[in-house]
Amino acid sequence: MRAEVVYHLARRDVVKFLRDRQNLVATLVRPLLWILAVGFGLRRAFDPGATGVDFVSFLVPGVATMAVLFSSMFSAISIVWDREFGFLKELLVAPVPRATLVLAKMISASVTSLLEVSVVLLVAPLLGARIDPLGALFAIPVLVAFGMAVSALGITVASRMKTFEGFGGIVNFLIQPIFFFSGALYPLDGLPPALAVVVRLNPMSYAVDATRGLCVGVHHFPILLDAGVVLGTLALVGALAVRSFSRMQA
Amino acid sequence: MNPSPAIEVRDLSKRFGDVEAVRGVSFTVQEGEIFGFLGPNGAGKTTTIKMLCTLLAPTSGVLRLAGFDVTKSPDDVRRAIGVIFQDPSLDDRLTAEENLLLHAVVYGVPRAERRARLDEALAFVDLADRKKDLVRTFSGGMKRRLEIARGLVHRPRVLFLDEPTTGLDPQTRKATWEVLRGLRDRNGMTLFLTTHYMDEAEHCDRIAVIDHGRIVAEDSPEALKRAVGKDVVFVRTNEPAALCDVLAERYGLTPDRTEEGLCFRVEDGEAFVVRLVSEARVAVTGIAVRRPTLDDVFLALTGRQIRNGNGDAGRDRMRAMARRR
Ligand SMILES: Nc1ncnc2c1ncn2[C@@H]1O[C@H](COP(=O)(O)OP(=O)(O)OP(=O)(O)O)[C@@H](O)[C@H]1O
Ligand SMILES: [Mg+2]
Repeated sequence: MRAEVVYHLARRDVVKFLRDRQNLVATLVRPLLWILAVGFGLRRAFDPGATGVDFVSFLVPGVATMAVLFSSMFSAISIVWDREFGFLKELLVAPVPRATLVLAKMISASVTSLLEVSVVLLVAPLLGARIDPLGALFAIPVLVAFGMAVSALGITVASRMKTFEGFGGIVNFLIQPIFFFSGALYPLDGLPPALAVVVRLNPMSYAVDATRGLCVGVHHFPILLDAGVVLGTLALVGALAVRSFSRMQA
Repeated sequence: MNPSPAIEVRDLSKRFGDVEAVRGVSFTVQEGEIFGFLGPNGAGKTTTIKMLCTLLAPTSGVLRLAGFDVTKSPDDVRRAIGVIFQDPSLDDRLTAEENLLLHAVVYGVPRAERRARLDEALAFVDLADRKKDLVRTFSGGMKRRLEIARGLVHRPRVLFLDEPTTGLDPQTRKATWEVLRGLRDRNGMTLFLTTHYMDEAEHCDRIAVIDHGRIVAEDSPEALKRAVGKDVVFVRTNEPAALCDVLAERYGLTPDRTEEGLCFRVEDGEAFVVRLVSEARVAVTGIAVRRPTLDDVFLALTGRQIRNGNGDAGRDRMRAMARRR
């Protein structure tokens, strides 16, 4: 696997992401709307006594992880796009292992979602969130791994889908439960047992937990468990993505 | 030394559900040959190319390319080939240069050579001055030329061209053929192409005529034309009825009346015309002798005309629309 090939393939996606200004602005602003609307809207309903931090600070790591989830998942739509507009043939006939093509996609997805995360983490203090800068720096690798895992899931879906509508339908169906059952919006202590089980089965819960632990010092699981689950998920879904992508025919 | 053939295909079949797109095709293309697939819409040309270039798994049959088994060693095959697809395959949100650079990197063109290769390829297709522009701002023909340039950047051993010159104007078509023949003559590149254009098929060393997924004839353009035989003669006269009688009585011919005059087929048309003019006492105002074209070959072999005229124009227009998106 040649690193230069991965770099140029990933660069193509990032260049196109940066070139599309309207989409870029919308993508970067969307997470901030969450912090403003949900953070300030629900601030009074939240009991800081339970976690020791105010709701806006509590929410910011959740929104950062959410941004990674959404943008990494939808970045795989570029595969459907490439199939629709014909460029996928050029990629599939190239003398490059399919795993390289998949890895490049995963990297470009995590780079673009990191841009969003950076905006969230840089603007959050201005909105009154108390984020530990060093902890936030350590959270980046966790979010990168999580973004790559999510993008692998997106690639798996995109490899099997023939249309934009099909991809959109499946992805929305997947993304809602992953997001809502993750603890991005609420603490994991004292959940009803059924919900607690579902949350524990959801890999995103561990990504949120690690990010929140590192950024604001509130967490539910040991950080090593969080990291282990995220990396394990990445390995598993990554392998699945390579398999699905390799089976695809033009 | 006896190098393996560039392409070797045995009993190749492809079935899509109920559609048998390719039904037991066999042929061999030698290194440095220009081999053409000639056939109407839906004959199975693109399906065959897709199987040869590793994009589609065959239902059955043996496929070898540059000595490699296409199903077993797809990556070796991919390194040896270049493909110019029938349908659009550029990233139109990148510039012309970015499209070619990505291709060069992916195909392992050494960094030191990239700039020269890109400039050479862009110059070949006369797009050097547009290299910094987004492909979406290109005309249909410019996109096609860029695709051709891209196929040449990595100097493949075997180049597949699926209807390469569709949508190009006559001058560009001619220039493209000069480039392609040059590559074969200088670098010994093997070309496998498909076309509907008779004049293009004549650039080939060998042609396989394909129809309904089967090869119905395979030979040089010359031999194919010879197989169909007779020349086509058009004679103009002010007394067509009288000339008709002469042709029927003296030579046993039954001419058709066409816009270009009376039309009939004979062996060695030129010699016949000389005899006719000296023997018949009917004033002739014009004569044309035409060698059989591949159109005639196709008609003779399949009983059908290659669909052209309106059908083809409609299809080109559809393709142009697809390109414009
Ligand atoms: N992916 C597919 N699924 C189902 N049928 C297909 C598929 N691809 C091709 N076919 C069918 O296979 C047959 C041959 O198609 P192919 O594209 O090979 O024709 P072609 O000779 O390239 O025609 P054209 O000159 O129009 O490009 C057609 O009947 C077509 O409908
Ligand atoms: Mg075709």
